[in-house]
Amino acid sequence: MTPLERQQLIDALLDGAISEADFIRLEAELTIDPVARQEYYERVGLSLILENEAARLISTGEVASPAKANSGRPRASWRVAFLGMSAVAAALLLALLWRGMMGTPGDEPVEASGSQINASAEPKEEFASGFAVISGQADAVWEDGRARAVGSLVPPGEFHLRSGVVQLELFSGVVLVVEGQTQMTIHSPMEVAVVRGKVRARVPEPAQGFRVRTSTGQVVDLGTEFAVSAGDDETEVHVIDGQIDWHLPDRPARRLGAGEAIRRDKTGNENVFPSRADAFVGTEDLRSQLDLQQDHRLQQWTRRSEASRHDPRLVAYYQMSSKGLDDRLLSNLASGAGEKASSGAIVAGSPAADRWGRAGSAMNLSPAGSRIRVSVPGEHRSISLICWVRINSLDRWYNSLFLTDGHEQGEPHWQIMDDGRLFFSVKKRDVFDREKGEKDKHIYYSPVFWTSALSGQWLMLATVYDIDARRVTHYLNGEVLSEESIPEEYLVEIVRIGSASSGNGDQPKWDAPHFAVRNFNGNLDEFRLYSAALTGDEIRSLYTDGKP
Amino acid sequence: MTPDESVDGQFVAQLTAVQVPLLAYVRSLLPGDPAARDVAQQANATLWIKRADFVPGTNFKAWAFSVARYEVLNYRKQQARDARLMFSPELEQTIATELAEAPDEFQAKHEALRACMEHLRTKDRDLLLHRYSQAGTLAEYAAKAGRSVGGLKVTLHRLRTVLLSCIQQRLRSQEASA
Repeated sequence: MTPLERQQLIDALLDGAISEADFIRLEAELTIDPVARQEYYERVGLSLILENEAARLISTGEVASPAKANSGRPRASWRVAFLGMSAVAAALLLALLWRGMMGTPGDEPVEASGSQINASAEPKEEFASGFAVISGQADAVWEDGRARAVGSLVPPGEFHLRSGVVQLELFSGVVLVVEGQTQMTIHSPMEVAVVRGKVRARVPEPAQGFRVRTSTGQVVDLGTEFAVSAGDDETEVHVIDGQIDWHLPDRPARRLGAGEAIRRDKTGNENVFPSRADAFVGTEDLRSQLDLQQDHRLQQWTRRSEASRHDPRLVAYYQMSSKGLDDRLLSNLASGAGEKASSGAIVAGSPAADRWGRAGSAMNLSPAGSRIRVSVPGEHRSISLICWVRINSLDRWYNSLFLTDGHEQGEPHWQIMDDGRLFFSVKKRDVFDREKGEKDKHIYYSPVFWTSALSGQWLMLATVYDIDARRVTHYLNGEVLSEESIPEEYLVEIVRIGSASSGNGDQPKWDAPHFAVRNFNGNLDEFRLYSAALTGDEIRSLYTDGKP
Repeated sequence: MTPDESVDGQFVAQLTAVQVPLLAYVRSLLPGDPAARDVAQQANATLWIKRADFVPGTNFKAWAFSVARYEVLNYRKQQARDARLMFSPELEQTIATELAEAPDEFQAKHEALRACMEHLRTKDRDLLLHRYSQAGTLAEYAAKAGRSVGGLKVTLHRLRTVLLSCIQQRLRSQEASA
């Protein structure tokens, strides 16, 4: 490929107009050639700069000659200026910069003005929203019918919560609890507008000055907690704690303190009455509501988990429990299989909270040498391995989920690579000739599924080795991560396990030191082994039934 | 100011500093995909939520990239049926490593670009402006300007190459005079 051709392909790729064949050629080039990659980075960077420049020119109306007004202010100086600022000022500034960098006008001179929010720093109406994330929800139904996960951004523009309750965390630190039906817009981390509905706001000290606008007037927070109920005919403001100012056009602000509420109807009548905190869902209420829901899910899960023990395909089922951790022994809960695995012996693991938050009901496998020792008799064809884990970090090259002692013909290995891929193999042969390109086994990798962003989250991992379909499938949280055909040459029809460990590997017998330590750094909640291939639906329902 | 607030302030400063590199990284993994900015913004949200997980003193950019990468994977999962082109995991890994180590020269490059743009002919500048402001398709512009789409693509390619070499020259001469 000539450099010119390469650059043309990169441009085509960035324009979203490349053929698959050209893409593959370019990818090969990028993989092997650092110069090609450098060109790629430069052209990606150029497209970003051009986008920002185009947005800037359009916004300032100076398409012909770019202004030089701001060129004397290197960005590095205002970056440093951030450090002394309060969280709110910084968040606001972030919001401004963000808008600049995300494609709308950039390069406005931004002054760091200490911890006070002055009028000029106040965000304007056209502000993009997306400065809030959903931090909790109960039975939330959105107007557009989409489900939104905890942790996702609040949709930009006006949104409409039909029913249920959501808790939003604004980047200023303000926490809003919104009850359906509510229609509202988040203009900035410091300002929201409620068209109609109920919103309760808890405002931390650095976010004082946070305001809620309604069709009749606006509330400016002077500290702590208040709630707004806006309807077509009237607006109510309840001060739960601290103070607020109630602003109407052309009138001096009216100050209300804790325990006071004000109602204003469309004819302009106002009356003050005692506030009612219990009329609005607060963060604590939402928390207890969620706890209740979780209790319900846990009960449901306990019933389904009991029922699943009788499955004749289930060879091993270990659930951590405080009793087991005391006895250093985990009973195998599987009760339907003819030939089942032994109890699990706990080595060096310590108690930890499980995925439902119950103390002592999961095992911390981080301590050096910690593991669960089991013995699985018999011969198997297809197998399915499933576990709930909470990974702290992937410290080792190989991080053990389930490893047989030694590595003999027919034995499976299940682990996580340090780069976040799942690894599964069944050993095909003990004798092989590396020179001829032969291997002892084929390794079925998933794509990268784990990054540090998932640190501390409970995940359900599953791998199914299906002889009849000649396929290995990896799953994360009930969804297929990857599927791969079993190559004819590496098909092993009889799987043997014998003595094995979860959470660690055997003593090193291998030629390289990196095989030695496979200590899994994280917590294990439960582990299942089936002597059969579970279907995708079965894996999915294990996840939906078992997720907290 | 409480310790928490000061930590948040520092976090915001780091998050701000990493904005353009983060977007460049996401764009490198999702070339030609208009959703790249949305994915980068979702990564920002996730970074904010997970701010307590960041260990001060460790490499913020690398941490931000690892979170962004997860958002890219997440986005692709949602788009699964669409089956866009994507690089191999090995190449993506290399891109992550190299971009995390690359110096952040975007601001200097942007300033250089503004100077370089002044030397372009008006119609070339208009073409770039049109292409990068996403106001309508290239085909619409071609019809209006009485040119072929293929011809415009060739011109755009040439302009990008000219701009890149102009930017590099300016940066080099600045270094030399500094």
